[in-house]
Amino acid sequence: MDMFSLFLISIPVGFIGSLTGLGGASILIPLMVFFGIPVKEAIASAMVSVVATSSGSASAYVRERLANVRIAMYLEMFTCVGAIIGATITTWIAPIYLYFFFAAFLMTSFLKPAGGRRREGRAGGPSKAERLSKWLQLEGSYFDEATMETVDYRADRPILGGAGMMVAGIAAGMLGIGAGAFKVTVQENVLKLPPKVASTTSNFIIGMTALAGASVYLFSGLMNITLMAPMAMGTTLGAVAGGRVLNRLTGTTLRVLFFAVVIALIVQMLHKGIASW
Amino acid sequence: MVKRRVLGSGETQLETWVSYILITGVVMSIALEAAGLILFYGAHHSLAISHHGGAFIRGRDFFSFFSRVLLETTKGATGLRLMVLGICLLILTPYIRAIMSVIYFASRKNIKYALITLFVLAVLTMSLMIH
Repeated sequence: MDMFSLFLISIPVGFIGSLTGLGGASILIPLMVFFGIPVKEAIASAMVSVVATSSGSASAYVRERLANVRIAMYLEMFTCVGAIIGATITTWIAPIYLYFFFAAFLMTSFLKPAGGRRREGRAGGPSKAERLSKWLQLEGSYFDEATMETVDYRADRPILGGAGMMVAGIAAGMLGIGAGAFKVTVQENVLKLPPKVASTTSNFIIGMTALAGASVYLFSGLMNITLMAPMAMGTTLGAVAGGRVLNRLTGTTLRVLFFAVVIALIVQMLHKGIASW
Repeated sequence: MVKRRVLGSGETQLETWVSYILITGVVMSIALEAAGLILFYGAHHSLAISHHGGAFIRGRDFFSFFSRVLLETTKGATGLRLMVLGICLLILTPYIRAIMSVIYFASRKNIKYALITLFVLAVLTMSLMIH
């Protein structure tokens, strides 16, 4: 494989990553491992393409007032620290464990955000979590084009949400991925944010989390420029194209695509891990 | 008539700045990487992926590494240097966004968020400098 073919492969990967919500790196890392790139080198180099795809799409989400920058900045405190811890673990541990961690974490993509109703405050006034959320100004509103209504929201349980995002950060730093599906699950199930706000805010946070992880890999001698440049270009172009066609595809098509891709990646990483045992 | 409310987090000016910073950083980075790839091919007539020393980013801290790459590129741009510069710009994009956020909240005297964003900036700065 050369840089041009990696660039060409990265375009459909970014496209599928954008449609399925997996991001480019989750798909590219197992693919690179398949083509014989050492797993640690693949993970460290993929971090940069996470920054590229996240920054490219988050720019639009912030401009459209869908992503909430204040909630994002609060949660980044946890994800950045987590990413540094995760990336440090990867530079220390034996590569064989990474195949299994990667496969295990991909399985969390099957967690379906339940959404759910906001917990009602106890009689006698707002709960401690509600007061903290209000104090931290973890609130906002967005215009929903599907219902043509303005939706107001406030994050619930900010401490628990922060802890969940720390776990997401550790996984992201450790595996060189955005861990977007996990972040969205935490934001919807714990913080009780509306789905559109959760997915766009998660996308915004991913770039910063990836930077924190990438900073650890920068001088570990694992970041290969001949991998990073074509990957960053290809996945970004693919992600931009994916974002444009997303609304034209049916939910069923997207779900079938999602399950097919995730299952193939899990099988590939498990196979590689068992073969290296 | 429907009354228009302020959407998003309410930090409209910050959202606009952030949006421009992100898109500018990504576009500049991709342009540099594409130019680097073309120059690399022109010089080597090959785009083979390398696993040798020169292909890996090495240095003591990111900021001195970035200034060295910038200086070397202004003296003479090679394909590899342009690609490295593109990656450095990509890494700097969320970092600049973090700096901008601290300045914004400090100027608005929003101490809580000035401290929260300062914490994130400090963690990032330390991780980019200490190795």
